[in-house]
Amino acid sequence: MEYLLQQSMNALSLGGEYALLALGLAIVFSVMGLVNFAHGDMITFGGYAMFLVAAGMGIANPALLLPVGVLSVVLFAMFLEKVAFKPVRGAPPTTGMLTAFGVSILIQNVALIFVGTRAKSVPTMDFLIQNVTIGSVRIPVVQIFETAVTVIAIALLVVFLKRTTIGMAMRAAARDVSTVRLMGVRADRVIATAFAISGFLAGLATIFVLARRGAVDPFMGFTPVLKAFVAAVIGGFGSLPGAVIGGLVLGVAEVMMQVVLPESMAGFRDAFIFTAVGVLLLVRPQGILGERPDFGEKS
Amino acid sequence: MMIERRALVGAVVLGLGIAVAGFLVWGFAAPYHQRLFFTFLVNLIAVVGLQVFMGNSDITHFGHVGFMGISAYVTAILATPVAVKRSALASAPFGVNTFELSPLVAVVLAILVTLAVAFLVGLMMVRQAGVAATIATLAFLVIVHVVVMNWVDLTRGPRAFYGIPPKATIGWAVATAFGAIVLARAFRDSKWGLQLRASSEDVAAASAVGVPIRKLRFAAWMLSAFIMAVAGALFTLFVGTISPKSFYFDLTFLTIAMLILGGMHSVTGAVVGCVIVTAGVETMRFLESGPAVAGMQLPEMFGLTGFFLGLVIVLSMAFRPSGLLGSDEIDDIWHRRRLRKAGVEVS
Repeated sequence: MEYLLQQSMNALSLGGEYALLALGLAIVFSVMGLVNFAHGDMITFGGYAMFLVAAGMGIANPALLLPVGVLSVVLFAMFLEKVAFKPVRGAPPTTGMLTAFGVSILIQNVALIFVGTRAKSVPTMDFLIQNVTIGSVRIPVVQIFETAVTVIAIALLVVFLKRTTIGMAMRAAARDVSTVRLMGVRADRVIATAFAISGFLAGLATIFVLARRGAVDPFMGFTPVLKAFVAAVIGGFGSLPGAVIGGLVLGVAEVMMQVVLPESMAGFRDAFIFTAVGVLLLVRPQGILGERPDFGEKS
Repeated sequence: MMIERRALVGAVVLGLGIAVAGFLVWGFAAPYHQRLFFTFLVNLIAVVGLQVFMGNSDITHFGHVGFMGISAYVTAILATPVAVKRSALASAPFGVNTFELSPLVAVVLAILVTLAVAFLVGLMMVRQAGVAATIATLAFLVIVHVVVMNWVDLTRGPRAFYGIPPKATIGWAVATAFGAIVLARAFRDSKWGLQLRASSEDVAAASAVGVPIRKLRFAAWMLSAFIMAVAGALFTLFVGTISPKSFYFDLTFLTIAMLILGGMHSVTGAVVGCVIVTAGVETMRFLESGPAVAGMQLPEMFGLTGFFLGLVIVLSMAFRPSGLLGSDEIDDIWHRRRLRKAGVEVS
């Protein structure tokens, strides 16, 4: 029972992390059709920003680093949108995707050139790495926070999308951008907001990724975002609820694999999970909540 | 497969260009440059193989290097002498350390294994819409890498696999590159290639006129995997030592940048991109090591090569998204020039 509780907490927090990232990907994709391969490098950027502020300005209090992490990722996401993705707006999806892919390689290598391959440590708040004991179950604080923050962030996002004008415009843009523009909503604002939100969610994820790893390196963003992509595909690419569901499914699957697989096979975890996802997509190509890909055939 | 004469001539001319370069390198170049040229040819074959799927179906493919890796490792496992394997793969499964096959047989088996894997992945691939398909290819690359890294008994895991007989020669590589170019052109300009390209531009219209999109996409996928498998086997039999890193992101970035710069809808573009990016990457490698240029000591800048590749991709996409050659093949360019000379107005 305790074991079960511990593992489900594990699954929830990991799933929450994937959900945060997958949501960011899905929001940008739904509004402008961009598959943002540079999403992971936003995490890396946030990590380096925290490292530089901590090391360069001598700020030792990790509590002050948290807003730095989140804010820098938001600004960086909006910066990328203006500099890199504006020129390819309206281009075919392949163009946007490859641009993002190129941007991702650029960011990684700039980090490599100027900061180096070696991982740099970032101070984390002490209480995040502690464990709490509830009854006889020990749970890392970071997991509780991650789950709670994910839930709150998703709730806020839902309110934002349902209650505010710009939120409604974004939901509408996900269906039909040109009509939204005809209604007098500026596409620039919608897209900038989408990037800001995706950056905010990635910024939250950055805090937790760093709390677990304690250090930043140029390629740290790749694995979490690959998982987020897979989560988004499981849920149905471009669907926001799908992104959350996909993230949770992936988190649960990963933790279950960890429990089930014997020590000697542990390294194969990701291979098993991705293969399982492949089989799922064979049966249900559109993912859980997506729309069926159209090949113009009778189904 | 029926292929237009003009396309065939174009492909052969392109292939002959490679052959002449190969002959010159084989005859006159220093061993270092011979190695460089061989690597260039392997990359060229890989880029052409990538073009077959990506250029015709318009689905970005990040998993092509995975096929190279599978083929390379199967070749290595089968062709390496027992004497080496007895110590290097002491606890290998399936008794692979008790026999050795001639390189040619090993390559044939490696290609068959790769095609079998491609078949299974392809079943899933052809059912996906573009974006999900691309992510699936990336996940496939990670699967291959994870398996090679962790199946230590069979692949030596992250450590280098050494002692593979270096039987491949420049001649073989040139012949393979020639074959790959002709094959890619034959597919691109066949009825099937044309139909697949049409479907990538307008799914509804193409299927309305009866294009079997999934079948054609599957065919392109398998042909692409076949060419990648040959490239992987060739690479292994030349360098003699491989490791999982040889078939991961570095090579993926490199080949993608080559194809994008040249123009992914054109086989000629694939070749042109490969030549330019190879030249660029070699320059960057030189600068990366912190050389003294004109009496000035440059700093060591690890990461410059990757930076260059990223820049190539971003700039291509911003200024010339369809690449240097767009959808033009070498013979299209000639043909247009001839028409223009004859006074025909061409767009």
